[in-house]
Amino acid sequence: MARAARASSMRFEDRTLASTLGQLPWGLILMLVSVACIGTAALYSSTYTNPAESALPLRHAIRFAVALVLMFLIALVPIKVWLQAAWPAYLVTLAMLVGVELFGVTGGGATRWLPLGPINVQPSEFMKLALTLALARYYHNNLTHQSGRFFIHLPPLLLILVPAALIFKQPDFGTTLALFASGGVLIYLGGLYYRIIFGVVAAGLASAWPIYAFVLEEYQRKRVDTFLAQLTGQAVNTLDDGYQIEQAKIAIGSGGWQGRGFMEGIQAQLDYIPEQHTDFILTVIAEEFGFLGATGLLLLWAIILIWGLVIARSSASLFGRFAAVGCVATVAFFILFNVAMVLGLVPVVGVPLPLVSYGGTVMFTTMACFGIILSVHLGRDERLSSQGVI
Amino acid sequence: MTTQGEFDQRISRRTVTAGVAGGVMFSGLVARLAQLQLLEGQRYREIADENGVKLELAPPLRGSIYDRFGVPLASHRQAGRISIIREQTPDMEASLREVARQIDLTSDQQARVIQQARQQASFQSTIVKSELTYEEFARMSLLAADIPGVQVDMAATRSYPRGRDFAHMLGYVAKASADDLARLTEGATQEETELLRRLFRHPDMRTGRSGVERHAEEWLRGEPGFRRLETNAAGRVIKELDSADVAPTPGKDIGLTVDAELQRAAIERFGDESGAAVVLDIETGAILAFVSTPAFDPNDFVNGISQADYDALRENDRSPLYHKAYDGTYPPGSTFKMVVATAALEAGINPEMRVHCPGHYRFGNRTWHCWKRGGHGSVNMHWAIKGSCDVYFYEIARRTGVEKIAEVSRKFGFGQRWELGMTGGRRGTVPDDAWKRAALGEPWYEGETLNYGIGQGYLSTTPLQLALYSARIAANGRLIEPYIIGEGPRPDERIPDAEPLNEEIMKRMQAGMYGVTSEAGGTAWRSGDLGLGGPRLAGKTGTAQVRRITKEERATGVLKGDQIARKLRDHALFVCYAPADDPKYAAAVVVEHGEGGSSTAAPVARDIMATAIRRDSRRAARWQTASVAPSIITTKGAP
Repeated sequence: MARAARASSMRFEDRTLASTLGQLPWGLILMLVSVACIGTAALYSSTYTNPAESALPLRHAIRFAVALVLMFLIALVPIKVWLQAAWPAYLVTLAMLVGVELFGVTGGGATRWLPLGPINVQPSEFMKLALTLALARYYHNNLTHQSGRFFIHLPPLLLILVPAALIFKQPDFGTTLALFASGGVLIYLGGLYYRIIFGVVAAGLASAWPIYAFVLEEYQRKRVDTFLAQLTGQAVNTLDDGYQIEQAKIAIGSGGWQGRGFMEGIQAQLDYIPEQHTDFILTVIAEEFGFLGATGLLLLWAIILIWGLVIARSSASLFGRFAAVGCVATVAFFILFNVAMVLGLVPVVGVPLPLVSYGGTVMFTTMACFGIILSVHLGRDERLSSQGVI
Repeated sequence: MTTQGEFDQRISRRTVTAGVAGGVMFSGLVARLAQLQLLEGQRYREIADENGVKLELAPPLRGSIYDRFGVPLASHRQAGRISIIREQTPDMEASLREVARQIDLTSDQQARVIQQARQQASFQSTIVKSELTYEEFARMSLLAADIPGVQVDMAATRSYPRGRDFAHMLGYVAKASADDLARLTEGATQEETELLRRLFRHPDMRTGRSGVERHAEEWLRGEPGFRRLETNAAGRVIKELDSADVAPTPGKDIGLTVDAELQRAAIERFGDESGAAVVLDIETGAILAFVSTPAFDPNDFVNGISQADYDALRENDRSPLYHKAYDGTYPPGSTFKMVVATAALEAGINPEMRVHCPGHYRFGNRTWHCWKRGGHGSVNMHWAIKGSCDVYFYEIARRTGVEKIAEVSRKFGFGQRWELGMTGGRRGTVPDDAWKRAALGEPWYEGETLNYGIGQGYLSTTPLQLALYSARIAANGRLIEPYIIGEGPRPDERIPDAEPLNEEIMKRMQAGMYGVTSEAGGTAWRSGDLGLGGPRLAGKTGTAQVRRITKEERATGVLKGDQIARKLRDHALFVCYAPADDPKYAAAVVVEHGEGGSSTAAPVARDIMATAIRRDSRRAARWQTASVAPSIITTKGAP
């Protein structure tokens, strides 16, 4: 973003609501709405044969509308407020995670919910956002000009590890990975030496075999074996371990260039794929709209995320940059991991496709992330404090 | 030290780098999409098209089996049955209780139905009760509409109208077990295997477990029909696809050479005795009766026999499950004497040579006994056969030698399994020196040749072989081969023929057998008259020793009848042909533990033969067996 443009923009306090709304990147918002519409259509196609699921598409659309309002509300909160709220938000969320550990509600084999009055909340979802804000705040305050050092990155590592450990224990492997992914991107952005990064990656690769051989349980090893077998195209027992992925590949592959057409997908219509309306919704799009449709959706998401990075780069404050990049990384992780999972490139871990998969929490998390990104956009000229100024 | 500008640049640079890294990952995913959708798309599309389409198989009607005159022996009848579909009733237990109020259905049976239904998808039907009586069917047809989930329909069930009469020959059908499936799909391609597995999962589908039903399985089965249905992953039908239905092709029928009425008469004649009888057409080798009694009722097996009933059959000491005429092996006893005589004549012994029978025979330091304690006096071959003189045969057997006797036995068809196109069939044993060395690791002792001479010892034969032997004598030595499938899947395994038997010698044997039934001094002279005016019976009696008679017992008088346990009593045998002057039928009869060939077996054989002649079982059959037969008696390469 050109520096000249920034000079002409007004300070936040000077704006009216109308002019503030006018400042929003409406193209980006329109693209988000498009993604949600694609999701609703795919849901409609995959559920209309089953009367029990016929309400899902409408509910998805309504949820998106609510999440959109939430995004605007978050966007309109001044960036300075988010800076100040970062630490308290992190600490409260962490306390709630400990609370889950102590008084959590169990459901579906995992303990993720905390009963707060009449409702159950899922603190691990809040943590994605809270961790991003906390890390942004940390780097905003502490990133000095000598920040290429190693030790400055230890506190962020701790900020990631503590909640990650608590969430891993719930267990919620997908969210744990999400925290590491977005937190890791921020540490990278903070200027960690490349040699350390490569060292960690090398160590991770080197420890893969010992972990497989000595740490994993028998059933987990079997899952890894199945995954590797499928990845390399070997035959697996398609009615057992690899059923879901095998059927997903059949659905995606049968789409070809242009797909079978809306509501014409055989796999999609005939319930061949478990979790088709949630984590595996991409199979519906790939089957019915083909390579062009699936690539189009990915391209749409790529443009949205690049736009998010452009907003991050235009921010005058370190907090703004880090917060926006962290939010982009969180959403990007969901997309990349979900698509890789559906395409059989990574093991099946329950990670949904943002705004397309049916499900409330990921939609609110995603839209909250974009709320922060928009807030950064609106406050891009705010320097916030003497520290963290670029 | 980094300057402000460098610091700013680094963050910006790393933002871009992270973006590029993300972009690379997105490209990787797009590449994978391209691989799956563009490169391998065709293959996956084919799989997907198959995925949604289910072939619903309609079982073919199994072919029927008839006797030579077209009397059905295995066919099918329509029987009513009740089934229930789980998802169509809110309370399956209540529905079943409602059914139980109308017809006999125990709570055990109800529980089994519920358990079975729960293992299936909710839209599949489970059979509650099959084989409804007419009254049950009528009542349930009226009421089923009011009981949720319950349906009444008709299904074709395999039935054996002649019940036990043809149990061993036909065998029976049953639901295919895992073992059956493994056997049925042996050597099939993966596609065929899958089709067969699915076909046999159909509740109406049965497979032959034994007998002709099993051997001719493919011939009888027919081709399944199918409908193409679009189904979802759970198998629920979404819609019927447009492509045409293919109706099932019924299985092909089989015509046997047996005469159901002759078979019935023979079984009735046995009464409570257990035993076997085989009647052959001498001209063709066609089997007209193939009796093994007592028998089981194959109808009991079609829908699964209860364990208790099965155990009862298995533990019955008269072995109803056992095909005595084909699988049973018995020492032929004195019926074997024409083999020994033939061997002696072939070896050059003069038939007019006389042997003195004092009632016993000494060889080495042992004494062999004749059945007639006082002895036969001086006898030639003709007299020895009709009087069944053991001493004569000890002598000529010893002179002829074991190898010659074994060779002639094989010429008559002993010692080999005759393939008829049904399960079972035993070879029996024709012992000789080589056999004994292989089986027992000992050389042949000459004393054993004496036992051979009277059809005892290691020798064992099946009733089918005995009938064939009798038929070959009656046919002047022509090497007749037995068969039972007149129209249908004939077994193509033919046994290479041996040297034909000498016609002159066979005429001499016939004279001996005529003497047995029709001349003074014959052991069965009362059985020669068939009671038909003209035709007479010729035959030979035999008694197969089941236990060894001790020296002490012989001294005090051999135990008889009621004095010893049934299972230790001798088997009674009779081989015969009729009419004596123009042979048309040959037969062998074994009455298990019947004591005496002349007293028990011969009268049974006489009555069976009289029935065969009276019925004229050779009159124009539905299958023109006589014209077919010569072509199947062929010689196939040397062994």
